[in-house]
Amino acid sequence: MMDISSELYLKMYCDMLHVRKFEQALEREFKLGNVPGMLHTGIGQEATMVAVAHSLRTTDGLFPDHRSHGLLFLKGTPGERIMAELFGKATGVCSGKGGSLHSADKSVNNFGDNAVEGSFMVTALGVGLGWQMQGSDALVAVMLGDGTAGEGAWHESLNLAAAWKLPVLYCCVNNGYAISTPVGKSHATGDLYKFAAAYDMPSVQVDGNDLLAAYEATQKAVEHIRAGKGPYFIEYMTWRWQGLFMGEFREKEEVRYWKEEHEPIKLAGEDMVQKGIATIELLKKIENEVQEEIERWVTFAKQSPDPDPLKATTNVYIGWEVETR
Amino acid sequence: MSKMSMVQALNNALDMMMAENEKVYCLGEDIGWMGGDFGVTRGLYDKYGSERMRDTPLSESAIIGAAVGSAMVGMRPVAEIMFADFMGVCYDQLVNNAAKVHYMFDGQYKAPIVVRSACGGGFGGGPHHSQMIEGWFMNVPGMVIVAPSTPEDAKGLLIASIEDDNPILFLEHKALYSKKGEVPEGKYITPLRKARIAREGSDVTIVADTWMAHKSLAAAQMLAGEDISAEVIDLRTLRPWDQETVLDSVRKTRRAVVVSESPGTGGLSADVSAVIAEQAFGDLKAAVKRVTALDTPIPFSVKLEKIILPGEEDIIRAAQQVYKHS
Repeated sequence: MMDISSELYLKMYCDMLHVRKFEQALEREFKLGNVPGMLHTGIGQEATMVAVAHSLRTTDGLFPDHRSHGLLFLKGTPGERIMAELFGKATGVCSGKGGSLHSADKSVNNFGDNAVEGSFMVTALGVGLGWQMQGSDALVAVMLGDGTAGEGAWHESLNLAAAWKLPVLYCCVNNGYAISTPVGKSHATGDLYKFAAAYDMPSVQVDGNDLLAAYEATQKAVEHIRAGKGPYFIEYMTWRWQGLFMGEFREKEEVRYWKEEHEPIKLAGEDMVQKGIATIELLKKIENEVQEEIERWVTFAKQSPDPDPLKATTNVYIGWEVETR
Repeated sequence: MSKMSMVQALNNALDMMMAENEKVYCLGEDIGWMGGDFGVTRGLYDKYGSERMRDTPLSESAIIGAAVGSAMVGMRPVAEIMFADFMGVCYDQLVNNAAKVHYMFDGQYKAPIVVRSACGGGFGGGPHHSQMIEGWFMNVPGMVIVAPSTPEDAKGLLIASIEDDNPILFLEHKALYSKKGEVPEGKYITPLRKARIAREGSDVTIVADTWMAHKSLAAAQMLAGEDISAEVIDLRTLRPWDQETVLDSVRKTRRAVVVSESPGTGGLSADVSAVIAEQAFGDLKAAVKRVTALDTPIPFSVKLEKIILPGEEDIIRAAQQVYKHS
């Protein structure tokens, strides 16, 4: 197990709480009708997100997936602008035109989610290729779900990234289910890292709820890519708390295990207390502070204006405007 | 001026743009060492190397994805999809990604890609190597579709497309690849979104594109023998198409025939006809007439294909009808 400073450990713990509280606030506001559209939350997958975020530089690229709201602000965008985007407001990072599934921020090289699963896996090739041709040492991380493994673009991407030795970090977040379908039932194997191995790409399966293990694996992958050795594939084994629109569909024992026993924030907190890095009181204090900050972001989003109606027809084309009614 | 084929004119444009801007690179299946299925990129591999003339696997989604991603970080990719029919494979990349990147992130990113592709029928290519596919993209805001019909326009439009900041589908008709024409030396731009009046006339406007522009010109020649003066408009940019030039012409001739190699249902010909009917109804002496492919896939047999695709005689008949019924 790798050694990290107490300071970094506490920071990562704090970041996990940001992700958790952000998503919980979103769920609450969604139920109240304040967040339009659909909502996919990343509750339960915080350690994976934080491990990835802390392994990337601001100049590195990111393609977040639909459960990566946390990564959007962990990449460097002010949290209130992400919250406002999810509320569809003018102050959102894409002026309310992208929403939960399409929040990009060019200033931190967040290339935005593409809500068609797997689609941006091939877009990421281009970012990697462009940077490779420009002589940059930046890499691009792509967040994938386990369900993405069924897409054709997945295989086109892995093949070409390996063939051209592109600086792409594939972060496969295996939370067990594509909506309701268990991963092992719909794929040749439930161990998705094996697909990458077939493309001669270094690949590893890691406990995505063990913050330090996930961080260590990601660090190793980043080092490999940064050295110009080509792409790397990590399968983070985790579990999403969010069930289906009609409720919980998984076995009681399974739910208990992931929510109570193998729960990433609890595991990290206990580890820090045991190592003397933090006290229970300190952790509680951090949690309260995070909660307050998230509520400030919610207030900002709520109080922000709707987008200017003119925005509806801007930025369709570059160089000419679309007719308005 | 020098006489060259459309293939040579396109090659000339690519060569010029690659020499001028190192951000310009090409990617596609067999476009490098082999020089492309139709020879459009011949010689460029030797000149610019494998980095900038990238042979890809048979991965159309990855070709377009890589083009878009690299464009998002400042490159100017020219992708080739060998046959336009194969765009079914990368349709998602074009429609959901290339065309939306600029809008959905509210202008932060752009996707200045050019996707060259060989389109069209008439040679017995069968159901998967013969289609006109602009109709697949007519309903996609953000997408630009360009289709030259002469070597001169092919060069000028390709240069304009590479310099443009929007995602562009650049359709090259296979029947026109070897057709020769005068092409100016050096760099020049043929403006996008601007139609070309291929022949002036006063009795009827024939709106067409690519191969059908040639058929329309031949038809106009025949119609002249019957004292029907046809004006032929070559759209050149199919989306967004040049409404001003078409409407000005229709207001002058007061009759319109819209010709398309695609099926009529929901296609470019439907849109052009609708706009003429909406905007110039009061000027029309007769209802707009369309000449399109039949509503079928393209069959292999050349005899059958001929039945499906519009011919000169169909265009002539349509022009005669709108002329006589007014």
